[in-house]
Amino acid sequence: MTRTLVVAEMALREMARRRVVLIILLLLPLAFYLSRHGDHLGQSIRFVCLGLGWALSTAALFAGSAARTVEPRLRLSGYADRHLIAGRLAALWALGVLLSAPYFLLVRLDQHDVRYGAIAAIMALTVVVSASFGLALSAVLPRELEGTLVLLAVVGLQMMVDPAHTSARVLPFWFSRELATYAVDHTGTGYLDRGLLHGALTAVLLTVLVAVAARARRGRRTHLTFVPLR
Amino acid sequence: MEQDRRAQWLRGVLDLCVLGTLARGESYGYQLAQALADAGLGPIQGGTLYPVLLRLQRAGLVAARWRGGTSGPARKYYQLTAAGATRLRHAGAEWSTFAGQVGAILAQEAAGEN
Amino acid sequence: MRTDAWLAALAGELQRHGVGADLTGHVVAEAAAHLADSGDPPLAAFGPPEMYAAAVADSVAGPAPAAPGRTVGPVRLAARGITKRYRRRTVLADVDLTVRAGEVAAVIGQNGSGKSTLLRICAGLARPDRGTVHVAGRLGYCPQDGGMSEFLTPDEHFVLVGAGRGLSRTAARRYGRRDAAALDWAPKPGVQARHLSGGTRQKLNLTLARLGDPDVLLLDEPYQGFDRGSYLDFWHQVFRWRDGGAAIVVVTHLLNQLDRVDTVLDLTRSEAAA
Repeated sequence: MTRTLVVAEMALREMARRRVVLIILLLLPLAFYLSRHGDHLGQSIRFVCLGLGWALSTAALFAGSAARTVEPRLRLSGYADRHLIAGRLAALWALGVLLSAPYFLLVRLDQHDVRYGAIAAIMALTVVVSASFGLALSAVLPRELEGTLVLLAVVGLQMMVDPAHTSARVLPFWFSRELATYAVDHTGTGYLDRGLLHGALTAVLLTVLVAVAARARRGRRTHLTFVPLR
Repeated sequence: MEQDRRAQWLRGVLDLCVLGTLARGESYGYQLAQALADAGLGPIQGGTLYPVLLRLQRAGLVAARWRGGTSGPARKYYQLTAAGATRLRHAGAEWSTFAGQVGAILAQEAAGEN
Repeated sequence: MRTDAWLAALAGELQRHGVGADLTGHVVAEAAAHLADSGDPPLAAFGPPEMYAAAVADSVAGPAPAAPGRTVGPVRLAARGITKRYRRRTVLADVDLTVRAGEVAAVIGQNGSGKSTLLRICAGLARPDRGTVHVAGRLGYCPQDGGMSEFLTPDEHFVLVGAGRGLSRTAARRYGRRDAAALDWAPKPGVQARHLSGGTRQKLNLTLARLGDPDVLLLDEPYQGFDRGSYLDFWHQVFRWRDGGAAIVVVTHLLNQLDRVDTVLDLTRSEAAA
């Protein structure tokens, strides 16, 4: 438990030191929000949630890549995969809550006649999915540039693809639009159920992907036998 | 006289000269350096002298003792040991032989020119 | 150079050369007395402190006596039959390396002879095509560079790595700073790793590898960017760790410390023999 907490603490410290990146990430969802502010009600909500997802996925991508050089040493020092993954996820969730809270407040104050509970659910699921999505990208792709391009493509597709198509569910943030429809248009619980299910499933799948990729990157060390002395 | 050659000669015999000086009585580093300079060997730097003393001490040819000074700081005094005295005696004989041989060769050159 | 500064530097240099504390005291006191008597400036009378210290160390040293009471323990690292090929080139051909507790092994060879690869295989970071490695106890590895987080400070690194080894925060910081001081480095609080100079980063690298007192230490030329004094400090530390019971492997192509190590593995020769 201590080891997980130490990993989380150091991940947060690392992220806090990258001031410029943090400022950009903080303001990105605002830009998304304002871009649709005058439009039909609820578009800005959908966009701000998407912006949050993009910002947090980017933060997760960079956090994962930055950890690459130090991970072999941490493993040799006695950290297991679960400490490293759980710690980093915990740090990203904390960052996600810090990032979403002001925007939830903004929506609460600025938008009326919407289901705030559902919006909170979107943001919570977005935090969880983004964290795992970004870490998965950093685990699978060699460099941050490739990861950022993939993120760009995903967000772009997310905005353009018609959510009614079944193929749209492949995209990680599909739940965001479903739940937003439930929140804004006051539809029946169908949207709510689908959204929650998709969000939960995506979160779980992506987290498993992170674990599997970490294991694969570590490689099998069948040639090496450790005999513990204490 | 060429500085380089002189330095080379001195390097070869400095430890023996130290033994010779100590034969007259115990002495400390700076005093030794002064004695050698007065004998005509020119200024001997501390950086040269003390490593030589350490080597002689390690080889058992000199022994050292710290003496607290009423006039000035504590100083490390070196004395010749029995082994050192023996080595000095042999070295003296060897040097006479060597110097004689070299002198004879050099004298031949001079004689050959006349 | 002022006399007291020169004398202090001399004391430091003598210790770097492994001259014992007693003799260091005597040498410094004698030099001080000589300077007081002669009135000469220290650089004229003795030369630079490093050179005088080296001359003293030479005069005092001889064939290294077996350190009293140093016992060599059980095998801590056993690498057998390590073979590695990259594309068509055989980098390592059937290499064996055994290191016991209380021993230092030097791995030497030309560039490209597979020294770093062998260490990475022993650390579990690369897989050989053939061969096995057995490690008893905990392992510490110091690569030629890297192994750190750019945005964290040295203290934070100590806590992070220390937690893995089961050290409390205060203990981790204390041990880390102590090992850093032995390499003549006092980490300034709040300075991130990315702002450290190359040599200092390597000191952090080495200190982190050593944190938690691992039983086996694999060091891949960790002295990149060290100045001459730190380089001597490094070897001084290696032999101290050895005397504490660690099994240490050092990859090096600088050969001047080889007469003090216990085993030398020359990969150039074994590669040529393959």
